[in-house]
Amino acid sequence: MRKTVFVFSALAFSTVAASSVLAQDAATSALIERGRSVAIASDCMACHRTPEGEGKPFAGGYTISSPLGPIVALNITPSKEFGIGNWSEAQFEAAMRDGVAPRGHLYPAMPYTAYRAMSDDDLHALFVYLQKDVKPVDEAPKAQTNLPFPFNIRLSMAGWNLFFNRATPFDNALAAPAGTERGKYLVDGPAHCGACHTPRNTLMAEDASQYLGGGDLGGWHAPNITSDPVSGIGGWSDAELVTYLKNGNAVGKSQAAGPMAEAVEHSFRHMPDDDLQAIANYLKTVPAIRSEAQTAPAYEHSKAKPAGIGTLDYGIDRSAAAMVNGTSVNGEELYVSACATCHQLNGAGTQDQFYPSLTSNRATGGMTPNNLVMAVVEGVHRKTNDFTVQMPAFKDELSNAQIAAVSNYVLQRFGNASLSVSEADVVELKNGGEVPLLVKATPWLMLGGAIFAALVLVLAAIFFWRRGKRNTLQHA
Amino acid sequence: MATEFDADVIVIGSGAIGSNAAHLLAQRGKSVIILETGEWIPRWKIVENFRSSPRKNNLNDPYPTFPWAMSSFDPDYIENTGNFHYVPYQLLLVGGTTWHWAAATWRFLPNDMKMKSLYGVSNDWPMEYSDLEPWYDLAEYNLGVAGSDTDDQSGHAGAAHPPRSKPYPVTAEGETYYFQRLKDRIGKEGYNFIHEPNGRTNKPYDGRPACSGNNNCMPVCPIGAMYSGDVHARHAQNAGAKIITDATAYNLEKGEGGKIVAVHYRSSKGADVRLTAKAFIVAANGIETPKLLLFSDVANSNDLVGRHLMDHSGISLIFTADEPLWPGRGQVQQGAIFKWRDGDWRGQHSAIKHAPHNNVPNRDVAEMLIKQGVVGPELDEQIRHLSARWVVIESMFETLPRATNRVTLSTTKKDALGIPTLSFNYDLDGDEYVEKARDLCMDDYGNFVRAMGGKVINDKTGWQNHAHVMGTVMMGDDAKTSVTNHEGRTWDHDNLFLATTGLLPSSSVLNPTLAGIALGLRTADIIAKEV
Repeated sequence: MRKTVFVFSALAFSTVAASSVLAQDAATSALIERGRSVAIASDCMACHRTPEGEGKPFAGGYTISSPLGPIVALNITPSKEFGIGNWSEAQFEAAMRDGVAPRGHLYPAMPYTAYRAMSDDDLHALFVYLQKDVKPVDEAPKAQTNLPFPFNIRLSMAGWNLFFNRATPFDNALAAPAGTERGKYLVDGPAHCGACHTPRNTLMAEDASQYLGGGDLGGWHAPNITSDPVSGIGGWSDAELVTYLKNGNAVGKSQAAGPMAEAVEHSFRHMPDDDLQAIANYLKTVPAIRSEAQTAPAYEHSKAKPAGIGTLDYGIDRSAAAMVNGTSVNGEELYVSACATCHQLNGAGTQDQFYPSLTSNRATGGMTPNNLVMAVVEGVHRKTNDFTVQMPAFKDELSNAQIAAVSNYVLQRFGNASLSVSEADVVELKNGGEVPLLVKATPWLMLGGAIFAALVLVLAAIFFWRRGKRNTLQHA
Repeated sequence: MATEFDADVIVIGSGAIGSNAAHLLAQRGKSVIILETGEWIPRWKIVENFRSSPRKNNLNDPYPTFPWAMSSFDPDYIENTGNFHYVPYQLLLVGGTTWHWAAATWRFLPNDMKMKSLYGVSNDWPMEYSDLEPWYDLAEYNLGVAGSDTDDQSGHAGAAHPPRSKPYPVTAEGETYYFQRLKDRIGKEGYNFIHEPNGRTNKPYDGRPACSGNNNCMPVCPIGAMYSGDVHARHAQNAGAKIITDATAYNLEKGEGGKIVAVHYRSSKGADVRLTAKAFIVAANGIETPKLLLFSDVANSNDLVGRHLMDHSGISLIFTADEPLWPGRGQVQQGAIFKWRDGDWRGQHSAIKHAPHNNVPNRDVAEMLIKQGVVGPELDEQIRHLSARWVVIESMFETLPRATNRVTLSTTKKDALGIPTLSFNYDLDGDEYVEKARDLCMDDYGNFVRAMGGKVINDKTGWQNHAHVMGTVMMGDDAKTSVTNHEGRTWDHDNLFLATTGLLPSSSVLNPTLAGIALGLRTADIIAKEV
């Protein structure tokens, strides 16, 4: 009898134990799932992956071409030697919110100024996911960040952070699905839209007065996504915005390329429709910013001015010397033979818009030709849930002068004819776009190097004092 | 102008085979120079040359012919002494002849490599299928080959064959309506329709876009979906190889101990340059490779260079079906019809590959009708009617190596650089092996036409060649009966390697370029371990 009781107790006990383990597992896996969706919304994978091919998830190595120089993403797998396997949660939080990793300051190419706004719960879930569900990759990224002086002094970021890293964490990460609150959280927090779409000031921080008003990076232009109906996305339907985020393609409006194609590929297409709807809803509420010179939205450049068929093939030189000579800078000739096979002679693209129209297209009808030029230079590569889009890169096929010529032809015939591109513009965009004042001014800063260093030390002292204080408050 | 370089390896020819081999060597850290007779021509320019061409049915017409780099259609370049007018179609530019192939990338069957021991004809290869298999894999992944992992390519409707260690890098494209209808109706007569593996990627691959059915593989893919050798010429360059264009190799200089010590090249601008290297790969096409060897008087101690020229000579059938099939949508060819692919009968007659061609037929149809004197609204109506129902079947036969079928140097003509032009002797007359297959092929044609309720337009084409050059620098196990060993290493010079479809000692019925690339990669791997 006693023995029986004992057996029953043991059974009961083990059942309780098992169910509590199960409950714990269920809680952990729910947390991991939440962390996974936070990682997706935060687009960690776009940068923290090996650059070759599909890339090893979270292994780092991808190079971000910042105006200050190339910045290489770190290994954030739980590898103890090469990743974040030994980081405490407090260290993780410091990296995500303060831009300070155990081994020193991060550069704001890592968008910690936005991640700072993430809710405590989301941040915790992300930490658990990265530590428990990601496969450790025990190797360091092949390249390393090595910015020129003085930007290689990472401590200088301490002062910068003091001024520019000031967001406060949201506490409503789980606001009503698809609502504007949720949208604002995603846009300003994990999805860090402003990192590209808000222009930067002279010290390379987001200019709050131009919030989501359009910025430049790596030669590409991240357009104005405020609610303005002319310069922003005010004229887009919700469905167009959601479809664009999901597939990178809003027919008759815009196709994602460059960094936005990466955001679609690694982040938006994996997000729940509710969240995409939330982003669309919120963007429609963002205060409108209008480019002064702009009178009509890009997509209203909808009328092609195609060349007369009769002029196109007339008088092509068929001598052997001419047949090997690929140096023509006649934009029409280049368009007809390099572009029209897909985009068609009249720029209308194919009927199904698999090959998109060059009219009614933000890359050709906006206020800058940057994305047109960069699409020609680098091509378009975008993986969507339906298929993969690939426009070939023409940087090996066409010279800078030819890229300028064919871009001008496209602008004249299909887009905003008031824009034009020079060979020098193409060179500049290939090299990452206009050099910011901070970099141009670097020689002067270096001249005043001593003053600069002193300033850094003072700022650093203030910073550490301030951080210590905040931690004290938090732990109180 | 030209600077002199020494390199670990000099590759002569920048086509698909040479560029893939050069790329592998450059990846392994070897210094590599590629010599190319022609120039880089950007794709858009070739597309323009095609559009402005008045000879749309001539595959070489969008490509230039120079007095120092002549097209095979230049009457000053090719002379023929046999009954068959042999034209090899090779192109002289960076990327080579794959600019205008249709990118059929079959693997040879294990049995194709044992013709002598299994069927008593042709030759055995100096290697097993399994020796080449990993290199077929690499070649397919370099090219982004689309294929079926389940087809029995031996045509017996059995399990997947030949064996492969990796799946195709790209899945087979969907079947066109034209192909489906032919398969439905002719397949019932006991013919196996097999998907044709091809280098026209149908998903983005290695920077190339997906094929969108421009139906212009020959003479140029306007969007670069179809693989061409310039892809790996560029990759080789990015991996550190140096490409010298307008550089026609004309002499391989012999040194002590049977080594080749240098290659001499000329440019159209008068430069004459000598380059030294530890090893040399001649990857200059099945025709131009023997030409260089013959003019240099190397690798030819047994007088076999240029002999045993094999092509997939064949015939073709044009008929109209009793239903609209809408040919010309999608890719130019999609598959093969196999009845006579492999079997004991190969001792008696050729294997046959029938390929339904899917070119846009309007031009051929209009040309025929106009010749018949059809004009006015009747012409329009008939073009519409016939173009929808037009079926072209091209059939290729396995040919046997014959010492008298050969390419030699012209004894009377030279090009602008002073290098002799080419002379061919190619004959199939009285060749029972192919004649018997032609009779069987005509029986098949009767079945095809009947199955489709068709009306014959032309079934008397005479022999046609397909520019599938094989045998001219045959590899083998015996220095007396072959030019190279299984490594592509010439028996006469241990640092001179050949990488070309000319190595193939038996022809089967399959487009040979993929085998050439696989052999070239294997050779490059062997060289990489030696230099």
